[in-house]
Amino acid sequence: MKAIANSPLMFALVAIGLAYIVFLSIAFYRRAYKRCLELGITKETMKDVIKSSAIFSVVPSLSIVVGLFALVAVFQSVIWPWWRLSVIGSLSYEVQISGLLASSFGVSLVDMSPEQFGAVLILMSVGMLSGFLILIPFGKKLCMSVAKTETTSDWRHVFSGVFLLTLFAVFIPLLLIGDTIQALVMITGLIVAIILGVIASKPKMGWLNNFILAITMIVGMASSVFWVGLFK
Amino acid sequence: MAKNKEKTIVLDPFQKWAHSYGRLGTLLAIIYMIAVPFIICSVYKCTPTIGMVLNPGTIGILLIYIPVGFSEAISYTPVMGSSAYLGFITGNIMNLKFPVAINGLKVAKVEQSTPEGDAVSAVSIAVSSIVTIIILAIAAALSSLISPIFQTPFMVTAKDYVIPALFGAMALGLFGTGANTSGKIVKGATKGVIPVIIIVSAVALVARIGGAGGTLLGLAGILIVLMIPVAILSSWIMFKKGMIKVVDAVPKAEAAPAAEAVVEAAVEADEEK
Repeated sequence: MKAIANSPLMFALVAIGLAYIVFLSIAFYRRAYKRCLELGITKETMKDVIKSSAIFSVVPSLSIVVGLFALVAVFQSVIWPWWRLSVIGSLSYEVQISGLLASSFGVSLVDMSPEQFGAVLILMSVGMLSGFLILIPFGKKLCMSVAKTETTSDWRHVFSGVFLLTLFAVFIPLLLIGDTIQALVMITGLIVAIILGVIASKPKMGWLNNFILAITMIVGMASSVFWVGLFK
Repeated sequence: MAKNKEKTIVLDPFQKWAHSYGRLGTLLAIIYMIAVPFIICSVYKCTPTIGMVLNPGTIGILLIYIPVGFSEAISYTPVMGSSAYLGFITGNIMNLKFPVAINGLKVAKVEQSTPEGDAVSAVSIAVSSIVTIIILAIAAALSSLISPIFQTPFMVTAKDYVIPALFGAMALGLFGTGANTSGKIVKGATKGVIPVIIIVSAVALVARIGGAGGTLLGLAGILIVLMIPVAILSSWIMFKKGMIKVVDAVPKAEAAPAAEAVVEAAVEADEEK
């Protein structure tokens, strides 16, 4: 199993796949950037959007790196975990499914037969694809259902905002009530965001706006270690 | 009348492009993702039997995750717009792509579900995808050197709290209803989701008492799908009763853009009047 997981073929397939994903990202970026300028968004604003998006992405990406090494320990190879966490795979799904599949076969991943390992690869690849059965045929319709234009009726303005508000109305009570540590981390993040927001409103501190989310995340995540130490 | 107007929605050129090439690009990506394990299996002659892939144990696992995939697509696509294709291919929606898109909208001061919002979200998600791929590539290349750092108790604990930390950061600004690019402000929109907050709080409380509170987050996608009709219905009733209003945007003073608390307070004060 280890030989397959570390094979040059596996590496080549993963490298080709990642090159394709980067190509697709660049294609989206170029088209969208051009359209932003055409729609009157200034280059300066776009620079801020790009900088802020890149900076913000670092912290969650590092948490994915933690997951990568968790998977590497299970697979005894870095190639397949690297691929899975760079594409569709969500960190929690990949970590869970590899462990659950190994236990359903009754052996650890390293001791699996090549066929059992093949089954793990297939299941990890297809398990998270169900969303695409909705996205590909209905993605356009879902977006159109909330699209806003100048002629949009008043109700439509309300309707289009409902999805985002529902998302928050579900997540926030789950985080606040479901688990003490999660609640404390969230409240820490909220307080840090308020403080940074106030500082950013001061003269000459506007630049801080682009970093609020990233800084809040770092402080919030770091605080989890303190809260876990205090309550667990 | 309003219905006729709604039917005239014309997609922006970028949205048109994103939907057609996004679909094609997504289709090719998933064909490739499915092909990879089969290529490996056929070359190394390790193709498993159907019974190995589909047995009660694995079906049970798939039954948990398939509905999650459906619900995530239904819940997040309307919010992410035409950039959802790229977001879903590169994954990590809730802990990365969704917040980065929202952050981009705020920085550019544009609104979701508009041509500007879709284009800005796409730039944010594309940049974020590339950054993640680069960071993961570096981590993979240096895995033997840096893996001890990422296996320290500090990092292992902190990585489980990405989503709470994110929501702490985002909760502040998202309940504000500032002026939008279509020149309208929705006042009191958050009232429409109060029934959702009550229901989800009750569910979370029951789960907590039952000792399953910490695992509820995994079911958030399904809960969102179940709660969207509730939120639409209650928002509709409140809209009809005048509790939620849509008014023309009044140009705001040059308020500091990210001082969300200040903006929020101004909106709330308007509501009080």
